[in-house]
Amino acid sequence: MRPENYQPVNHPASHAFELYFGPNHPGIEGNYALHAVVSGDTVERLTADGGYLHRGFEKLMEERLWIQNIALVPRICVPDPVPMEETYARAVETLGGLEVPVRAEWLRMMVLEMSRLTAHLFTFGGHAATVGLYTNMFWGVTDRDMILDLFEELTGARVYHMYITPGGVRRDLPPGFLDRLSARLDYIEQRLPGFDDLFFDNAVFVGRAQGTGVMSQEQALAWGVTGPNLRACGLQFDLRRDDPYLRYEEVEFDIPTESAGDCYARALVRRAEVVESIRILRQIIPRLRHLDGPIRCPLPNPLAWTIPAGDTYVRTESSKGELAYYVVSDGTEKPWRVHVRGPSSMHAVQVLEHLGVGARIEDIAQIMFSLDACPPEVDR
Amino acid sequence: MSEAQLPAPLHAVFDEITGVIFKRQGARRLRVDIDADRLPTLLALLKGRAGYLHLSAISCVDWPQDSEFELVYHLGSYETQVMVAAHIRIPRAASRYLSVYDIHIPAGFFERDIHEMYGIEFEGSPNMTPFILTEWQGPPPMRKDFDTLGYVNQHYSWQQYDPQWLRELEARGGGLVE
Repeated sequence: MRPENYQPVNHPASHAFELYFGPNHPGIEGNYALHAVVSGDTVERLTADGGYLHRGFEKLMEERLWIQNIALVPRICVPDPVPMEETYARAVETLGGLEVPVRAEWLRMMVLEMSRLTAHLFTFGGHAATVGLYTNMFWGVTDRDMILDLFEELTGARVYHMYITPGGVRRDLPPGFLDRLSARLDYIEQRLPGFDDLFFDNAVFVGRAQGTGVMSQEQALAWGVTGPNLRACGLQFDLRRDDPYLRYEEVEFDIPTESAGDCYARALVRRAEVVESIRILRQIIPRLRHLDGPIRCPLPNPLAWTIPAGDTYVRTESSKGELAYYVVSDGTEKPWRVHVRGPSSMHAVQVLEHLGVGARIEDIAQIMFSLDACPPEVDR
Repeated sequence: MSEAQLPAPLHAVFDEITGVIFKRQGARRLRVDIDADRLPTLLALLKGRAGYLHLSAISCVDWPQDSEFELVYHLGSYETQVMVAAHIRIPRAASRYLSVYDIHIPAGFFERDIHEMYGIEFEGSPNMTPFILTEWQGPPPMRKDFDTLGYVNQHYSWQQYDPQWLRELEARGGGLVE
């Protein structure tokens, strides 16, 4: 068009478009969809649309034996599967009155913190990619793989480990494992300044993330926000300290917080949690070196294993927040009801719908990744 | 558990509301059984007077043998370590209850989830449209009387899978694939 022929379009006062994000979109974590109503590039309304990863876990678990469900639970959350195993196992132990051996408790804490490292490194990478910093994405995924190598050596699987079982863990450490873990922790730690230069102190990221997706502490509490997202609003609350399980009372760690409540604060809390997880793992390693004993309590014949009737609600601090299982037994060899409360069922639905309003289109992906929303947890 | 062992803020609540049966389940869990019509009052009192700001989850359990649904409201506090689980029973035939969205915003998600999985209508809940089972036409699938295998048999056909290697393996009486 020649410039002299150009006529500016007179937009009507209300000029809304519908924009569909996902279910296959690089700016969406997993298979999940968002339906946005936009005016210009500002989002006026955001609606979450889930169900693409619904595999009916809760129904399937009612049809399987207590022991068979170990194979199902890690699949509920791909980036951070170990807390799923731990929470299910602890629920069965609570109902069945099983006593977990001390060495198994330390082994469980070790894999839980390793899983937190992998999940946070994955999120560093994913979050960076949403603002165009792709190098950081490759770094995050590569460093996560370093820990996955250790998982593979320990459990035989890189992602769905099925390592934690009711009553303990599945196998003991291979020879020399703790030395290799220690070396990998040193490696991750010395990588962190590089992540700072490339990502956390990067002017592009700081400019995009500060002041984006802001929620106050009051809003976070009202919306049921938990985990790093809540700590980024200034509340120091962590189930490892405030509803303790395993041996977390015997290790020293800080609970990092930030006050701004924006995307940048949430990223900084995760970065600080990586440091704390390394610190916890460094306390676990000497304990495991000097602790012998069984790794599992004796279990009855798993095919005829019944759990006494009752119900329990068990919570774990996963990398994404408060993960809980409500398990009901009617005294038979299968669970009567298992309800999985994933932290993302808040973060990916109501919280995201609130924070999306008023945001610009290009920030929607960043807000979702900064909340570390995990759609398979929502869909189950 | 005697009342003396209750955390102090909970005293104020249980002095206020009568007809509550409570039982300790482990060191940091308290089970409360209450009539369905008084649950919203209990939640409001727990939130306002005892600092139970966090609705962790609402779980639904189907008890067809009692013709009832059990709804469990899991409540947490940022001040005490004791979680409260408030249990109510509602008739299965009516499948209706009140929304507590005005007390706890997270209830919106859980009520919507229970509505599509169990078919319970929550009056006053902001959004009862399907979230996960958007194209689902069948009965609420998490109900105990929903027959998973029967549904599959009715709607899908079994794939004929009979490769040569499997026939050879079966002829040998099983074993490893070479």
